Amino acid sequence: MQSARKKLIVFAVAFAMFASADFWVFSSIRSAFVGIVDRMRTNETDLFIKTAPSDASALPAWIENSAEILGGAQLAFVAPDGASGTYVLSSNLERVSEFWNVNRQDSEFVQGLDSAYYFEDYTTKKQFLFDGIKTSVTFKPLINADGSDINGILLVMRTAGANSGFDRLLLIFSIGILIIFSIIWLVVVFARDRVSSFAIIAIAVFAFVFIAYPLFETVRLTVMKDGNLSLSVWKKALEANYLKALSGSILLGVLTATTSTVIGFLFAFTVTRTSIRGKGLISALATLPVISPPFSLTLSVILLAGNNGLITRQLLGLSSFSIYGLFGLVIVQTIGMFPIAFMTLSGVLRAIDSTQEDAALDLSAGRFKTFMTITLPLAMPGVLSSWLLVFTNSLADFANPLLLAGSYRVLSVEAYMEVTGRNNLGGGAALSIMLLLPTLTAFLVQRYWVSKKSFVTVTGKPSSRLTELASPPVRIILALLVGMFVAIIIGLYGTIIAGCFVRNWGIDYTFTLENIVEALSRGKKAIGDTVTLAAIATPIAGILSMIGALILVRKTFFGKRVLEALLMTPFAIPGTLLGISYILAFNKAPLLLVGTAAIIIINYVVRELPVGLEGGVANLRQVDPSIEEAAQDLGADSLTVFRTIVLPILRPAFISSMSYTFVRSMTAVSAIIFLISAKWYHLTVQIYNFSENLRFGLASVLSTALIIIVFAAFGIMNISVRDQGVMEKNIVG
Amino acid sequence: MGNSVAVTLDHVSKIYPNTKGKRDVAAVRDSSFTIEPGELVTLLGPSGCGKTTTLRMIAGFELPTAGKILIGKADVSMLPPNKRNTATVFQSYGLFPHMNVHDNIAYGLKLRKIENAELEKRVSAALALVGLTDLADRSPGRLSGGQQQRVALARSLIVEPEVLLLDEPLSNLDALLREQMRVEIKKIQRKLGNTTVYVTHDRVEAMSLSDRVIVMKDGLIMQMGSPSDIYENPQSKFVAGFVGKVAFFPVDVLGIEGENAVCLVGGKQVSAKRSSDAIVAEKKATLMARPESLRLGEMGEGLIDGTVTTNIYLGSSIESWIATPYGEMLAQIDDPASRTVWAEGTKVSISVKESLARVLPEE
Repeated sequence: MQSARKKLIVFAVAFAMFASADFWVFSSIRSAFVGIVDRMRTNETDLFIKTAPSDASALPAWIENSAEILGGAQLAFVAPDGASGTYVLSSNLERVSEFWNVNRQDSEFVQGLDSAYYFEDYTTKKQFLFDGIKTSVTFKPLINADGSDINGILLVMRTAGANSGFDRLLLIFSIGILIIFSIIWLVVVFARDRVSSFAIIAIAVFAFVFIAYPLFETVRLTVMKDGNLSLSVWKKALEANYLKALSGSILLGVLTATTSTVIGFLFAFTVTRTSIRGKGLISALATLPVISPPFSLTLSVILLAGNNGLITRQLLGLSSFSIYGLFGLVIVQTIGMFPIAFMTLSGVLRAIDSTQEDAALDLSAGRFKTFMTITLPLAMPGVLSSWLLVFTNSLADFANPLLLAGSYRVLSVEAYMEVTGRNNLGGGAALSIMLLLPTLTAFLVQRYWVSKKSFVTVTGKPSSRLTELASPPVRIILALLVGMFVAIIIGLYGTIIAGCFVRNWGIDYTFTLENIVEALSRGKKAIGDTVTLAAIATPIAGILSMIGALILVRKTFFGKRVLEALLMTPFAIPGTLLGISYILAFNKAPLLLVGTAAIIIINYVVRELPVGLEGGVANLRQVDPSIEEAAQDLGADSLTVFRTIVLPILRPAFISSMSYTFVRSMTAVSAIIFLISAKWYHLTVQIYNFSENLRFGLASVLSTALIIIVFAAFGIMNISVRDQGVMEKNIVG
Repeated sequence: MGNSVAVTLDHVSKIYPNTKGKRDVAAVRDSSFTIEPGELVTLLGPSGCGKTTTLRMIAGFELPTAGKILIGKADVSMLPPNKRNTATVFQSYGLFPHMNVHDNIAYGLKLRKIENAELEKRVSAALALVGLTDLADRSPGRLSGGQQQRVALARSLIVEPEVLLLDEPLSNLDALLREQMRVEIKKIQRKLGNTTVYVTHDRVEAMSLSDRVIVMKDGLIMQMGSPSDIYENPQSKFVAGFVGKVAFFPVDVLGIEGENAVCLVGGKQVSAKRSSDAIVAEKKATLMARPESLRLGEMGEGLIDGTVTTNIYLGSSIESWIATPYGEMLAQIDDPASRTVWAEGTKVSISVKESLARVLPEE
């Protein structure tokens, strides 16, 4: 194509012009900066020289005593030897004398010494290697009292690398601008749909900077030491006591996944396959723990069964019992995570076609036999799937073990301790990467293997009639079990609310409102910060996930699969790892984000994007592409199509992505605990701090406040999605 | 107007690059034609022939790999759909599910920043044109297929496109509604005089609606012409077979007499118009005859003999299926009351009305 070649030539010319302008601007900035730094150094040195004693014999002592005054510079003093006409170094440092002996014959040294002899300053143009570092040398005359002669010459060795931080920044900016210029030019000239092209590029840049780069930095940190490949971090991480934390995590995961799946199946079977009453209530209560804030269940378990627990101490009088450890963790995690199993399994059980069970019953198999030979095998992939999902969640869980692990060790907490307690970022990174291996394996197995084995497809459209498989006595047993469990859940939430009004739990159970007053006044800032940050992240994540969904479903471009995988990655990554990788990656300019609100918001967006994206993609796949084409055909550009057609049609996915982001941001702990600062605090961390200091009353109040905010957000979402029922039908029909 | 050409395709090709080791696919190959203002042209062909791709290239949803597309005198080959003054009625209608009928139709005008009074006037007119005035407030999901079709048509017509594009608009409707809408589309098109490109695989639709038909196969244009021309003077066996029922006889060309070729069929001579100069003496060719130009008679009377297998009574005519050595052939007997109808099982001989028969290339 002739025109394409012409455009490329024009681009090449423009690029060359822009590049030279770019180079000119940045080299000007650089030389101006270097000039300023040099002048400052000269002034500094001059000032320093003024303090030199006029008595020549006092000079060596003065130099030795003032070595620290000129920061980053090494000093050496040479005195003229009257007899030989040469200079003698007075230094007892070996590296200084070696440097002097190697370079003293160098022409620049000769010139520098000569200049100084005639009272002139001289700085070498060349860089000399001093102690393996490139150094420039300034020769300064030290003039005697009457100004007639020099007492000696001071050599000031400055590392040339002092500007390197600034140089690096300038380089990043100058190349960055050049790249941005090229991209804009090429897109404007060559892309047919500029808006979409820019959107794709923007999302790709976002994904690389905020997902790929921090993870890469984290891995790099664990295998590099002082610029060299080194496995010392890993050697340490693979020591026995850390491996114990890994096996601790896995054991906890296995136990929690098993109990959660059993209880989840019980609930799912009761709700989908029996004619029990109050199914709606059971479902609602069984999903409650999913959206409840972290620490709340743990807190309530501590209140009931902790060292001063209401049940263990006050009612049963146990003194040796401790809830802290594996047992307590399994209980808390099971209550918190069985809803995942419940939701997965009720979808599966609902989708099993009852005619298959009817056929078995018709062939005179008993109900139990039918269940064992038909229902259970059909549900098996779902059971496995839910087991793996809970396993992943248990491993990544950070909040519960943080409070309740006691001396039991799990990786997520260990990584946190490594970073905050021992200030060992590399070790923390290595431990959280170690955590990633089982998590990622379980995630991938669930996603790409188990889900393919599935005999039933969960369509969301239940089959019209489901066969009752439970005989009356079984039904009663199921009802009792489920009822008991529901009562426990209600009891736990009730305990938190009760905790708000008790003076000092475990000791003094008198009614008081003081906790509420104190918690709200001390937690005011945290509540404000948390809501503000979540409220900013929510629309960003919502819009971004819808744009991402549109791009991934409707556009074809190079590297689409890679981008999709990258955007989905944070879903499988433990928050601990993501948090650590963020403090690692964003602690230097130009991406100096540590301590800002931006790092927290970006972290929220990155972590919650996958769910919104999946929702958007699933929703958009149901929408006939000719709807968007029709709008475009009638004259709407990409942006207008997105605003007036795609976004309104995806409203259910859009709203649920936003509410999900909001709730998850409000209840985040694992990544956020690394990223908060005095300026931006998080409610969950405040709850943790109160609990750590045994101020359970205050922790209860803040937990309750958080639960209220989260439920309110969920309620609003439910209302705004409900009146979309009519529309959803239209899209499919 | 005054302009003589509304749409020009100049050697347009569309090649989809290979994906995952598959070979490149040429959806449209070196396609050239022009459409005059106000003309209704149909792209007719089996699925995968490139007709929809051609339409989508005119609309701007696909870009030609080679060649140029002009609307009026402007080269629009590389312009996105929103920069072209075309409007498409989609096979699946593509109605906006979150807007009611009124807002669907008004969408294009709103984008053009038409002031409100004018907009309402034009929307009412469009609603009246397609007979949906009473349903303006309905959401599209609560309309029947035919009504959705009308909304899609009104939504496209209201922006007064230079070219109206219809992509198999009737294929989602049941037979009765299809016939009704066909008549309606034709009436509206005649009334408004829009230059229209209509894509279909249904030959009845193509024949009854079009000023001109373009028959496509495997990305190639096989033939262009008025419906009667395509029907009566097909250039190839494919076109002959695709636009109507037909019987083929393999023949040897004995000689050429002006426009006609003298052929030998079953030992008898037939003289019929040849489709092109490519038909020359001493070569094999195909004699094509439509059912209405076949005559049945006593054994030995006609060109070839066969047996009546089935008679289908259609009221105004009877279709007789005859098994012959060249395969089953269909003869149409019009006005059956006053003509001989051969009973099933009887041996008959088939002759051809030479003025209606054509000699086509062998393949």
